[in-house]
Amino acid sequence: MGNTQPNNTETVKIQGLLGGYLKLRSRRTDRDAVLAHLDEDTLTAFTEGTLSEREALPVVSHLTDCSFCRHKTVEIVRLELQFADMDAPAQVRETSEPASVANVLNGILSRIFGSSEAAVFAHEEPEKNEEEKKEEENTEE
Amino acid sequence: MSSTRPEIDDLFATLGKRVDEIFDRCAANAPNFGVRKECFEASLKTTIGKYLAPASSEPLTANDIGAFLDSVQGDDLFMALACANGNERAWWEFDQQHRSYMERVARHLAKTDIDAQEVIDQVYVELYGTKVVDGERQSKFSTYSGRGSLRGWLRTVIWHALVDLHRAGHDEVSLDELTETIGEGAAHAGFAEVPAGGEDEMVERLTRDRYRSATVSAIGNAFGALEPHEKLLLLYYHSDGMKLREIARLVENEESPLRGWFQRRSATRDKDPASRIHESTIMRWLEKCYARVLEVFKSELAAKHRLKPEEIAVCMELAMEDLSGRGIYQNLAADVK
Repeated sequence: MGNTQPNNTETVKIQGLLGGYLKLRSRRTDRDAVLAHLDEDTLTAFTEGTLSEREALPVVSHLTDCSFCRHKTVEIVRLELQFADMDAPAQVRETSEPASVANVLNGILSRIFGSSEAAVFAHEEPEKNEEEKKEEENTEE
Repeated sequence: MSSTRPEIDDLFATLGKRVDEIFDRCAANAPNFGVRKECFEASLKTTIGKYLAPASSEPLTANDIGAFLDSVQGDDLFMALACANGNERAWWEFDQQHRSYMERVARHLAKTDIDAQEVIDQVYVELYGTKVVDGERQSKFSTYSGRGSLRGWLRTVIWHALVDLHRAGHDEVSLDELTETIGEGAAHAGFAEVPAGGEDEMVERLTRDRYRSATVSAIGNAFGALEPHEKLLLLYYHSDGMKLREIARLVENEESPLRGWFQRRSATRDKDPASRIHESTIMRWLEKCYARVLEVFKSELAAKHRLKPEEIAVCMELAMEDLSGRGIYQNLAADVK
């Protein structure tokens, strides 16, 4: 091979060539491959950069072949950027807690399920253990 | 071979103290969530078995699990587990902390406020879980592993729900399918063309076809020779139209493996591993990839196809012509692997 030092024109040309090739390749690999797509949990962790190297390597390999999942990661990153100012969860003010938490949960669920009765059935009250029951009895007394 | 469940249990047991610390901290931050330690441990073990162990053929080590425990979003996982168990206090806090954010994301993505509300309702239903298997309600919260933030996970869940909602109402062919058909049609039309001139033009046409075929093969092999993270960077930039600042955001976390692979041989990382990644840094990474592709591309054309430097220049010219013509890659489409 002659001159191996790339010049500016060559770099511009290879960028264009590569760009065209990659667009076409993405369509081909999607059509040819039957891939199990990445789940929401993995997509989130990847876009947040919190996967370990061990976990990230197969994810990166998958993304190079699956434009469906890659597209999802692009959209997730764009959403992250859009809402970067709201990354921290809202602070919960202790004084704002309502008298009965069950009312709030039932309110949410009744709106979703259509009736408060359905919500009550859907919601499972965890069974109280013996100690808690005794405590309650003592308090009532 | 990846590790088995008993092996994971053994390794996990060696890190019991660290798990205790995480659990105690979470329980102190949210004493009313009612998450039992066994439930918390079971979730961590499930994540290790589902994601960490099968990610490599190398057996898991205590270090792998230790690194996972160090990065896990304990408080978020604690809340998700409590909500999955139907704890009222956890649901109330979840609603207080995340609902307005979820609504904002949904409104941003949806076309109408009605769609946004529909998606939020749908997501709440999934999070609570209406399906019961073996007497247990299947809450979507139980699929959250704590590897990323709960808020980021919710963002992804909402995005998915909106895509599903959109798909349900649209049966038309996607843009990708449409462009693919057009591309293929154009390529076949190109092969069917009969050269209009005599023998000279036929020879020229054959030569050009040979160069084109060599060019496609060489660019494909040059791309194939890159490391997976380099391929992904090029795909994000060229195929998905990601902007430099968006790619920079993707590698913003200083612990990001993607960032680590690019910076592995970089002096910058040694000096200041936590330094911010600027758009110019991403451009430099891209330039390195281009240089590697160009090097392999040229050497492949020279060694495998026996082309001289001037012929290589012709190959690139032809490719540029194809790219600037009305049917980009129409002559190359059939050869792309």
